[in-house]
Amino acid sequence: MSKKKINLYFRPEQVNEAITYVLVKEYDLKFNILRADVEEKGGRLLLEVEGRPSQISNGIAYLQSIGVGVKELNEYVEKDLSRCTNCGMCVSICPADAIEMDRQTWEVRFDQSKCIACGLCVSSCPPQAMRLKV
Amino acid sequence: MKRTYEEINAKIQQGDAVVMTAEEAIKLAESKGIEKAAKEVDIVTTGTFGAMCSSGAFINFGHSEPPIRMKRVWLNGVPAYAGIAAVDAYIGATEEREDYGQPYGGAHVIEDLVAGKAVHLRATAAGTDCYPRKDIDTYISLRTVNQAYMYNPRNIYQNYGVATNSSERALFTYMGKLLPHYGNMTYSSAGQLSPLLKDPHLRTIGIGTRIFMGGGIGYVAWEGTQYKTTPRELNGVPVGSARSLALIGDLRGMSPEFVQALSFTGYGISLGIGIGVPIPILDEDIMRTAVLRDDQIFAPVLDYAIQSRGRKPIAEVSYAQLRSGTVELFGKKVQTSSLSSYYKARIIADRLKRMIEEKEFTLTRPVEQLPRERMQRALDVCSEEDVL
Ligand code: SF4
Ligand code: SF4
Repeated sequence: MSKKKINLYFRPEQVNEAITYVLVKEYDLKFNILRADVEEKGGRLLLEVEGRPSQISNGIAYLQSIGVGVKELNEYVEKDLSRCTNCGMCVSICPADAIEMDRQTWEVRFDQSKCIACGLCVSSCPPQAMRLKV
Repeated sequence: MKRTYEEINAKIQQGDAVVMTAEEAIKLAESKGIEKAAKEVDIVTTGTFGAMCSSGAFINFGHSEPPIRMKRVWLNGVPAYAGIAAVDAYIGATEEREDYGQPYGGAHVIEDLVAGKAVHLRATAAGTDCYPRKDIDTYISLRTVNQAYMYNPRNIYQNYGVATNSSERALFTYMGKLLPHYGNMTYSSAGQLSPLLKDPHLRTIGIGTRIFMGGGIGYVAWEGTQYKTTPRELNGVPVGSARSLALIGDLRGMSPEFVQALSFTGYGISLGIGIGVPIPILDEDIMRTAVLRDDQIFAPVLDYAIQSRGRKPIAEVSYAQLRSGTVELFGKKVQTSSLSSYYKARIIADRLKRMIEEKEFTLTRPVEQLPRERMQRALDVCSEEDVL
């Protein structure tokens, strides 16, 4: 089993398609919706999918075949360790508990795998240590 | 038990001084008691690293050929105040560069100088008989200028209110982003490591006190602006912002590790500075305050949704609660975030300790004590007669 985070981009007319149902039914994938935005010009869905690697790529191929934009999300934000002061401002801002204070060393730890790519830490880091990677 | 500054400095010179960080002294006092701890320890070191908006630097650029009496000055595009002598200027930390895509201000210029980088200088002038030149466009660095020293009118507040937000929308403040409906709480003191909380009535800290400043050495110049002694005390420590210090120190000798530009979205720019103050253990009383712990030091919680200088605290919390990560407020668990870095505060207290142990730093008796009583005044809109 492996896990991947993917961003899906829909055109407005695709918003109502039952793609998540197909992913479960046909490709045997488990998923978590990390984020969903719907706007006039379409929608965006951030999914964490779990399944066999071949099934994940088949699922992605299916999505692309029906015209959904797919972008794999590896690292969305990165931390410049030389600028991070370990203040902890980002800790209470992060909605995904991806950032934690280590109460022994008082260092702030960032867990990339929990990140849902909201970008909130980027604008709230005073020394601008958190940066968008894309 | 009594100790004098002279005795402590003699011990430093002999390499015998016992120096501990405030955290170490707390542990010692817990195991052996205050009396024994006071006997054993000569100096307790403190530290803090946080946003200190009321900061800036005086720079003397040297005279050009032909000379100029600078009227308008920009450093990397950031306006500096030049309404003093010909080639003197003051670059304030919060001043911002205009028409620029990303946050860049006086604090960034100061950080760049400290990091040894070249800084672009542009100046214009009216031109006079003794200073004929009307403009100059050049580069400076700490290597080329005559003097470059920080003079910070208000640094290291003794304590500070904790910020939260009851309103429906996120607020962007100098206390960081405050999420709606008490979504988070931000604080900005190093608590048990913070200098002015360890000698709350400033018995040993006054004009002339030598301190660790931005990685180098600095001095207490004056009472800080908005210095006040009136807040209520708990365990002998003011609950909320009280005393502050005006500090002075040479940019040469400072390090970008402890001088860092900060920017707060929707608010503006500030300067993060690391400050450490040694507390001489002159007697047991001073040891008693030097070992106050996070659970004995309290701060008021203020609702930043109320946009008034008179907002009343909605709660009081200890630094132990704040540092635990969540605080209960109106039955709800609220996550906390610190704006000051406890990690760096520790490094500073430790660095200062080592500087003293290595005889690079001796203690100073204040030349003058700071005010024992001081009220803070407000600014009201009045007539000319009202203010007389
Ligand atoms: S807000 Fe920025 S500087 Fe502070 S801990 Fe987070 S990443 Fe580090
Ligand atoms: S972008 Fe930052 S705030 Fe958002 S989930 Fe990732 S780490 Fe947390």
